[in-house]
Amino acid sequence: MSENGHGTTVIGSLKDLQSFIRERDNWQNIFYMTPISDLCKEYPCILGIDEAGRGPVLGPMVYGTAFIPINEQTLLETLECADSKALTEEKRDVIFEKICENHNKLGWGVEIIAPNTICNSMLSRSKYSLNQVSMDAAIGLIKAALAQNVKIEHVYVDTVGKPEKYQQYLKTIFPNLKITVAKKADSTYPVVSAAKGIEVSEFGSGYPGDPITKKFLSNHCEPVFGYPQLVRFSWSTASTLLKDIAYHIECEEDDGEKTPPATQNNSITAFFKMTNKGGTKAKTRHIFFKQRHLSRNVEF
Amino acid sequence: MAIHIYSGKNNIESKLNDSIVQSIPFRIHADCDAPVSQFFQPYVKLEENLLKGSFRGYPLKGKKLDIPGGYVGVVLHESIRPNNEKDERKFYVINKFNEVVYWNWDKTPSKNDSFIQALDWIDIAEALHSPITEE
Repeated sequence: MSENGHGTTVIGSLKDLQSFIRERDNWQNIFYMTPISDLCKEYPCILGIDEAGRGPVLGPMVYGTAFIPINEQTLLETLECADSKALTEEKRDVIFEKICENHNKLGWGVEIIAPNTICNSMLSRSKYSLNQVSMDAAIGLIKAALAQNVKIEHVYVDTVGKPEKYQQYLKTIFPNLKITVAKKADSTYPVVSAAKGIEVSEFGSGYPGDPITKKFLSNHCEPVFGYPQLVRFSWSTASTLLKDIAYHIECEEDDGEKTPPATQNNSITAFFKMTNKGGTKAKTRHIFFKQRHLSRNVEF
Repeated sequence: MAIHIYSGKNNIESKLNDSIVQSIPFRIHADCDAPVSQFFQPYVKLEENLLKGSFRGYPLKGKKLDIPGGYVGVVLHESIRPNNEKDERKFYVINKFNEVVYWNWDKTPSKNDSFIQALDWIDIAEALHSPITEE
């Protein structure tokens, strides 16, 4: 790994990438983009974005992006990443090394969204959906490339959701770019497959059905806190297991949000009614205490 | 009913751990020790004067509250809770603290939170009940 003039890390090989990731806390998000070559600033580029790790109950979601000048795109074919369905881990590593070798033409970036960020988003007050997390990650990558003066002309995005809506949404954010969102874009557009070559799978399977994953979840349960933060708590696999082996918890909702009781509309004649003014009135505490939720529970 | 607090003076003055109390907006149906330093504390971040944490996947926003000068926070332990409401209750001081981290679920702690409001009483009580000195 080397440092460039700006004192930031430059990743030039698979080894570099692996140590870059290992050095960072896996409970926090990671963002990296290569230094931008002059070619990518000068000539119109295509940019591909691919997503990995939406399903698993463990580990992060990874967004990869690759960009290359349109007139250099034949290079993508030599990477042999077009048929990404057949991509094994070893094959992916080879592709990544090739991408690094061609850094003067082919730029790339990666955003790793930590599992805790994912469930914090899903369990926030204003429900932030997984789709929105995913779209924002893609937008972040495009913006980062634009900010570093990559001359983007056309963006290709792979999606598992509805392509039309997503494409429309990106179009409103980047009106000057051509945008194509498609299902299985990784097998149609080589630049998206190249993006796929960037994603690094850290945790074996991590899929909810996987028996090893299930065993991990039940072995690593802590009755108060649940799981370590690499687990996505918001997944049903995780939450149903917790119901059985961890203490039950309840989120304290605000009392203040309760609607105040309606004011009584006494009839006018009620004013003339005799009341037991002479009777003893219960001693109430000052409103100061009530507002501050202070009460006297026991006499000392 | 009377309440007795034992070993207060000795323990508060002694070298009991100055622990940090975390107040989280959850009712946990258990009464036990919890590995806070392993599962909670390492993941707390400070971002723009706001503490951020996480409990069972829920995002938390927190604020450090100092116990006012002249006061000390104590952790009390009751071994046996009497069945009868009228019986005396015995508490033992088992720890002390000088700060509380107050956490809300995905909401910045503010003067609107009753926990923070309740601390106002300390200043008011001081003004109301401290002896009057003639000048």
